[in-house]
Amino acid sequence: MSAVDTTLAPHLDNSRSARVKGMLESPVASIAIALAVVIAVGLAWLGGSYLSASNISIIGSFAAVPIIVGTCSGLALMSGVVDLSIGSMVGFSATAFAELTSDGWNAWETAAICLLLSLVCGLINALAIVTFGADPIAATLGMLTVLRGLSTVLNGNTGAIASLVSGFYDFLNQRIGPFPILFVLAMLGVLVATLVATKTRLGRHIRAAGGDERAARRAGISVTRIRYGTLMLSALGAGAGGILYIGQLGGSSNLLGTGLEFQIYAALMIGGYSILRGGVGNPAGGVMGLLVVAGVGNMLDVKSINPYYVNVIVGVLLVAAVLLDRLRGGDAYE
Amino acid sequence: MTGATLSTPHLNTEPPRSRGRRELPEGAGNAALVFGAWLLLVLATTITRPDFISHQTLLSVTFTMSVTGVLALAQALVAISGGILDLSIPTALILPSWLAVTLAALGWSSWLVVLITVTTGAAWGALNASIIVWGKLNPIIVTLGTNFAGLAVMLLVFQSAQTPLHSGLSHFGRGYFLGLPNIFWPMLLLLALVGFLMRQTRYGRRAVAVGGSPTAAKSRGISLRKTRFAIFGSAGALAGAAAVLFTGSNANFTPNDGTNYLLSVIAAVILAGISLSGGRGHLWMILPSVGFLSTVPVSLVFFGLNDNWQTVMQGAILIIAVAIDGLRQKRLAR
Repeated sequence: MSAVDTTLAPHLDNSRSARVKGMLESPVASIAIALAVVIAVGLAWLGGSYLSASNISIIGSFAAVPIIVGTCSGLALMSGVVDLSIGSMVGFSATAFAELTSDGWNAWETAAICLLLSLVCGLINALAIVTFGADPIAATLGMLTVLRGLSTVLNGNTGAIASLVSGFYDFLNQRIGPFPILFVLAMLGVLVATLVATKTRLGRHIRAAGGDERAARRAGISVTRIRYGTLMLSALGAGAGGILYIGQLGGSSNLLGTGLEFQIYAALMIGGYSILRGGVGNPAGGVMGLLVVAGVGNMLDVKSINPYYVNVIVGVLLVAAVLLDRLRGGDAYE
Repeated sequence: MTGATLSTPHLNTEPPRSRGRRELPEGAGNAALVFGAWLLLVLATTITRPDFISHQTLLSVTFTMSVTGVLALAQALVAISGGILDLSIPTALILPSWLAVTLAALGWSSWLVVLITVTTGAAWGALNASIIVWGKLNPIIVTLGTNFAGLAVMLLVFQSAQTPLHSGLSHFGRGYFLGLPNIFWPMLLLLALVGFLMRQTRYGRRAVAVGGSPTAAKSRGISLRKTRFAIFGSAGALAGAAAVLFTGSNANFTPNDGTNYLLSVIAAVILAGISLSGGRGHLWMILPSVGFLSTVPVSLVFFGLNDNWQTVMQGAILIIAVAIDGLRQKRLAR
């Protein structure tokens, strides 16, 4: 994947210093450095227990759902549209799933209904953004609010619904080595997404649609169809994420998924995606970005530091990441 | 509309039919749409519940309009001058609010408190502007990041704040003048004043020119940096003014209360016909658009729906508004 990325950066100059500079500016290098820094800080601060099997398992189960959600919405970023509604879509899908299963509905049927509802939301997003030409950030901010409101309505006065689907929790609680099974499944998803994004024609088309819309259209690629597809995939990922959270947590609440979109996009931007331009980044880089945020969150958690500090760090990282994106060749804003 | 005066020489060379067609939908069509929607909402609610038409309704609508109106004005300044969106409005409201009630509790004189509150707002805006200008970064991302970090810091500082009951702030905020809430009048005044300044002064027209086309404005010798600082600083100062009205009229608040305004503020700006791509729109149109949006929650109460449905409606209105804005852009581009 690094080969694909470096061809995008215009360093024809083959001198040694230019190559080194190019490598440092390439997304893969910056994520690898960030991840290394997080692990080094973790080891220095928490000692060897930071990389112990039990802590890796904690980080893994914490990061699994964001990885699934982020990988799907990362493909939307790649095609040039950003979907801010993923966080509250996770919350909405989780709430709907908890509400119906606690009423005694069959878990499989309920899951299908929740995924279908998410797809409908994704379709509305796509309709507004692709067909009507709405600003993606503002339109999906609207969807974020709609779904947040619906979740609050569904959660009712208590603001939470308990739902224990027998077998679901036990299944998700299994481990393969130090890794939770959900984390392993999520990583398999990342592998598939990375292969699709970098090795297939579909992947090239997605990248082209995000990179230069007009050129892609002229080359005969249906940008409309691709963006409909990626926005619906992003919604599907968020819907699945919500259902999986119920399996992990055993219930929904008004707070589930709030701010998740910011954490995910900050992480994806650290990982080489850009929420302002498509055609850059790849799922493998994105997952490393997500692990950076999960690793930082875990450190503060172990030290029982107020979780709001994570948001402060994520906010700063977001701005740093967009600065890095500009240095890598993103548009300068004046 | 200022855009129309800039392009007058070109209009003379065009056939009269297309000239009429272009000028009409710009301002008039949008105004008709907003007033029409407002009237329809009032009529529909009155038919269902005749007791909707009352002084009480007028009071709650104007009450809601006050803070939203001033914040929408701040957002509109940013949008019209090409700054796209200021997503840090929640922090820009909460930070000065917290300072205002803290100083008021210490017994500081009300005028000094107001002065410091507005200055703090301006300082927050200047902070955003400095990151945007020096990093050449997109304002949406910068304000997304600063809001994320800023709100987290506010949550670390306080969980809930009270406006001192016997302070000047709270006396003013709970009073009435000419049958309407006191806080309504500063909003009206600011809207009239800033709307006038934007059209009639050189500085206002420069800001609109920057929003219309930064490169053209730059080649005419307008400093983009200074404009950004002036606009984000003024927007922050307006948010500080909104904080005075907000703390005066709310006995207590939490850091999360600012977030509820963000959506209605963005929706108000777009509904007012102020395009997110800059350079077009009239600030005075904010009055009917905020009026309409502030009537929605009151109507919902009369239809027997609770607060959470209000959130759903706000999001839905935002999606529809940006979709209409997108269509309008497409038509203009053609």
